[in-house]
Amino acid sequence: MSNYELTSRGWLGKASAAVVAGFGLTMALTSIFAAFFSRGDSYFTPQGQMAMWLSSPIWCLILSFCFFFRSGARAWAWLIAANVVAWAIYAVVRMLMS
Amino acid sequence: MRTDIVRTYKDIHSWVGIFAGLALFIAFYAGAITMFEEPLQRWASRPTELSAPPSLERTPELVDKVLIEHPEARKSYRVHLDTGPGQPARVSWSTGTRREPGVTYFASLAPDGSLQISVRQPSEVAQLIDVLHQQVGLPFEHEIAMPIMGVIALLYAIAIISGVICLMPSLIKDLFALRFGKNLKRMWLDLHNVLGLFSLPFHIVMALTAVVFAFHDQFYDVQRAVQHIGAPQEQREGPSRGSQREAAPELMLVRDVLPPAELAGRIGQQMPGFQLHMISYEYNADEGNHGHIQGSDARYGLRGSTYGLGEVDTRTGAIIDADYLPGKQGAWFAAISSFFAVHFGNFGGSTVRWSYFILGLAGAFLFYSGNLLWIESRRKKERKAGAVVQTRATRILGAMTVGVPLGCVAGISTTVAAAKWLPSELDDLAAWHSRIYYAIFVAAGAWALVRGAARSGSELLWAAALATALIPTASLTASLASGWHNSEDTVLVDLVAAIGAISFAVMARATRRRALEGPRDSVWSSQSAPATV
Repeated sequence: MSNYELTSRGWLGKASAAVVAGFGLTMALTSIFAAFFSRGDSYFTPQGQMAMWLSSPIWCLILSFCFFFRSGARAWAWLIAANVVAWAIYAVVRMLMS
Repeated sequence: MRTDIVRTYKDIHSWVGIFAGLALFIAFYAGAITMFEEPLQRWASRPTELSAPPSLERTPELVDKVLIEHPEARKSYRVHLDTGPGQPARVSWSTGTRREPGVTYFASLAPDGSLQISVRQPSEVAQLIDVLHQQVGLPFEHEIAMPIMGVIALLYAIAIISGVICLMPSLIKDLFALRFGKNLKRMWLDLHNVLGLFSLPFHIVMALTAVVFAFHDQFYDVQRAVQHIGAPQEQREGPSRGSQREAAPELMLVRDVLPPAELAGRIGQQMPGFQLHMISYEYNADEGNHGHIQGSDARYGLRGSTYGLGEVDTRTGAIIDADYLPGKQGAWFAAISSFFAVHFGNFGGSTVRWSYFILGLAGAFLFYSGNLLWIESRRKKERKAGAVVQTRATRILGAMTVGVPLGCVAGISTTVAAAKWLPSELDDLAAWHSRIYYAIFVAAGAWALVRGAARSGSELLWAAALATALIPTASLTASLASGWHNSEDTVLVDLVAAIGAISFAVMARATRRRALEGPRDSVWSSQSAPATV
């Protein structure tokens, strides 16, 4: 990393990863939140509303910091990996909470 | 911080800024005005032809007459505790559904005690400005405009973070430095930085809430679908609540409620400090008599733009649902309401409203100054690359940077002033307000393209000054011609407009001077050969 020079050239790959895979990651993280705190089976509980609200800061952070990735390919790879991990955690939480 | 990171994020900041800047200008300028949507509506609303509203104690007489003569009101009618030009009647009801609103009727008692009905709405010009704010000025259907606004909001969020990253290395050095000197670009950059940094919390709030306002349906849809995987099917309630097909209930049934004065008293006992604005009495076969209330409390943030809301039992005054009632809600709901409140600036009374107004205008200026910086740095780059005249893209962008904001300003001012001049017989006043706004907006944009940024800058500023001066002028002529006087709080609308008009005139003179005396190769200079594309 140390002698690598960051540029804005690969922006499309990075940004598309943040829009698509970043959205998936956002939904995974907020769904984990909802699974932890929500009671009942409705999504419109105050906890569910909070989970919806959390989508905005999380997605915005991913979109803003995605340009730190070295390349579009790396952005996609990392964000897909993060999706897998986050959705796996979500599945575990759902199993534990039920 | 590594310089390559700063350089990368400077590029990002410039490009998201240039894409979102003009839309954000409209959102912020219109949004600043919506801080005073209620006074503006009072200013713009013609005095009603109805008799003065009966006292709250005499209201049952009015309600009774309405329910007997207009059975369609029995399912739902509203009693307004605050009446005035913006809310002309004590009692009102609407036909249609929430999706497809029909006609709203306003009722009062004539001096001889007979029922008076009016369908004349309070002015909808304030509503138009609110829609411009929500849809960043786009004249599309809500469903189309909102996702576009959402994309703008996401770009805005990226612009904020990338802007902070760019500023970080030189933060201490640049923060309190406002270098007004020979280097004009330096001054604009300092101004842009200081303004951006000091209003940073405000901008973070606006970006994050705007993303939610645009995409809440999409977020909910995905989260609900995820939650439903492997879960027992949710029991869905049928659309029985207040269904429009249900016949009007018997008069006896809907009479079995507390009169407004008594009900308001009981609600007041449960919620001291809560200012009740409206009680809506409702009846349907499933739930019987019940009602909704709206009101405000300056000590708390509110879920709606100007009110919190709740559900009451209209026979006993007991509060059934307090989830969105200020001061009565639980911690989770209070947190949710606070997100709305920090966007709407509806906590803390008029001090906060004025602060938001100023922050909103400052935000609009931030985006304008951002565009200017972009154009100026492009000019430098192009000159270094050997270009003698500006490229077409820079010229068009320069023209739009002048035309869009000033078109928005002049359009809003003109359509507001028109509220006092448009004949009340027109049956689609809202559409007329919209037409006036967009006509001026488009004309300003075209003018800027034809004349170029430098010359149109001062000309359109004069136009904005003139248009804004129309607002107090309209007050004066309406008051002379038809005795349509302002109340003391709407005089403030005229006063602010007058100050605005003078400010635009001052800016127009400064712009003219720059066009004549500034650097010749600038987009703002009108000295060089006329800009023909």
